[in-house]
Amino acid sequence: MHLPDGFLAPQLALALWVLTAVLVGISLRRLAAGEATHGATGRPILMGLVGAFIFAAQMFNFPVAAGTSGHLLGGVLAGYLLGPWAGTVVMTTVVGVQALLFQDGGLLALGANIFNMGILGTLGGSLTARALADAFGGRRGVGIAAAGVAGWLSVVTSAGVVTLQLGLSGTTDIAVGLPAMLGVHALIGIGEALITVAALTFIATTAPDILGAETDHQPSPLRRLVSGTSVVVVVIALAALFASTEPDGLNAVAAALGFSTREAEAPLNLFAGYAIPGLDGASSTIVAALIGASVIAGLLLGLTRLAKSRTLQK
Amino acid sequence: MNRVQPRSFDARAAVVATLMFIVTVALLPLGAYLAMLISWIAVAVAGALIGIPPMRLARRGGIALPFVVAALPIVFLRTDEIVWSGAIGPLDLSISGAGIRIALSAVLKAWVSVQASIVLVTYVDAPAIVTALRRLRLPEALATSAGLTIRYLELLRDEARRMIRARTSRSASPLGVGRERVGGSIGWRARTTGNLVGALFLRAYARAQRIEEAAVSRGATGSLSVGTLPSPDSRLTVKVLASLLLVTAIWLCGALLPRL
Repeated sequence: MHLPDGFLAPQLALALWVLTAVLVGISLRRLAAGEATHGATGRPILMGLVGAFIFAAQMFNFPVAAGTSGHLLGGVLAGYLLGPWAGTVVMTTVVGVQALLFQDGGLLALGANIFNMGILGTLGGSLTARALADAFGGRRGVGIAAAGVAGWLSVVTSAGVVTLQLGLSGTTDIAVGLPAMLGVHALIGIGEALITVAALTFIATTAPDILGAETDHQPSPLRRLVSGTSVVVVVIALAALFASTEPDGLNAVAAALGFSTREAEAPLNLFAGYAIPGLDGASSTIVAALIGASVIAGLLLGLTRLAKSRTLQK
Repeated sequence: MNRVQPRSFDARAAVVATLMFIVTVALLPLGAYLAMLISWIAVAVAGALIGIPPMRLARRGGIALPFVVAALPIVFLRTDEIVWSGAIGPLDLSISGAGIRIALSAVLKAWVSVQASIVLVTYVDAPAIVTALRRLRLPEALATSAGLTIRYLELLRDEARRMIRARTSRSASPLGVGRERVGGSIGWRARTTGNLVGALFLRAYARAQRIEEAAVSRGATGSLSVGTLPSPDSRLTVKVLASLLLVTAIWLCGALLPRL
């Protein structure tokens, strides 16, 4: 799910960077406003540790059958434990650290990855969970079940959106990719939902005070109505999007945006078709390939020697 | 092993150069293999200068390659520039030249970009990268959160490893993975895993409280400085201009050299 660099059209990657920066900026502002009212000076330390916790929790693979296992993404979990805004900031740093230190996801594609996992997964996921919980009465048990549903939705939605992004970039075929990705992630999402529910239940039983008073409240009837309506609208919109029988329409959009078309021929034709002037056809290509291969081999030898000498100096 | 030790210094130039390089590689046109080769040589030279042999770098760059699965269907589904078509059993297959160009370009760009960021993290240690990003105006809350995440990452991963070992010894792993017993149903296994996640969170939470108490007792006021700021790089402008020159050259290669 971590998109590497090179698979997204640069225009799309940059646009998602901008969108992500705006949404993370909003989260940071909401977080700062909340901090001012609650006076929680220790908050940054908790956020840093929860970031490390999400990292570590992703190591817990969930054995489904021999050879197959899913693991936790933790977006909704982070959002539920810290609240949507702090959760979003934490997931943003987790995805960023994964890209910077572990090459898990590209740097130009980082905007897209934060959007897919931090914004859709955590912000979208925990707001969905909250709305669901409000709609069904807002008690803690309901809230945890809602977090499970939101966890499943977050995995499936991110997978769908990743496929759409790849499709718009012309790197994959939406008509083939979307059903495959949604099908696989509908299963992976079940693991996410079960683990999220189990983890929250464990925390709620062992240390109920940590989950805070905010997660156990009685919403006003108006809020229930608004939340319920918005959940229904979102679910219908998602269902319509993914059940759409016109994925070709999306492919057409991709073609119209021009990401997938090839640019004009290069103006400087130094070695036309990688051929050597004066030689004909196949033999010329073979000679060109041989020259190229030996240049690269020489380069590799030279650089290896250089690297060794550089390490010995230290 | 003669591993290169990451160093700590004002890493703004290195971070900016890496980002510029990766953006440039991503902007290369499809099929600009010569320009991709040149950008790979640039990374390999940079890697060799800090002591990573090019073959090792190339191998480690392979971690993004499984993603090629996402681009594979396009090779068979595009209907332009058909280079081969035929039937394998009941399947009517055709291979599109345009599809190959898209998939191969994506894979090569990913491979070169990953190597560039490997060179960065080998050259500069993680806290120095965070410090550099903080100086490049990354919001304070993000920088602090990232710095602390990196600092406590190994600690919590170690806890997780111990918990997984304990779980494996108590049979929550499927048959055949070093175990002879299958523990419970899928629901039971999910609950076990969830309990571990919950327990790990409680440990992280308790540790955060302990760190907060310690920080307050030492006079912390709420603003956190992770790592000390190294002395600023006096040749920053020169270095950034040099990398700008390099990426412009790569971009020109992509625009001017012949594409396949």
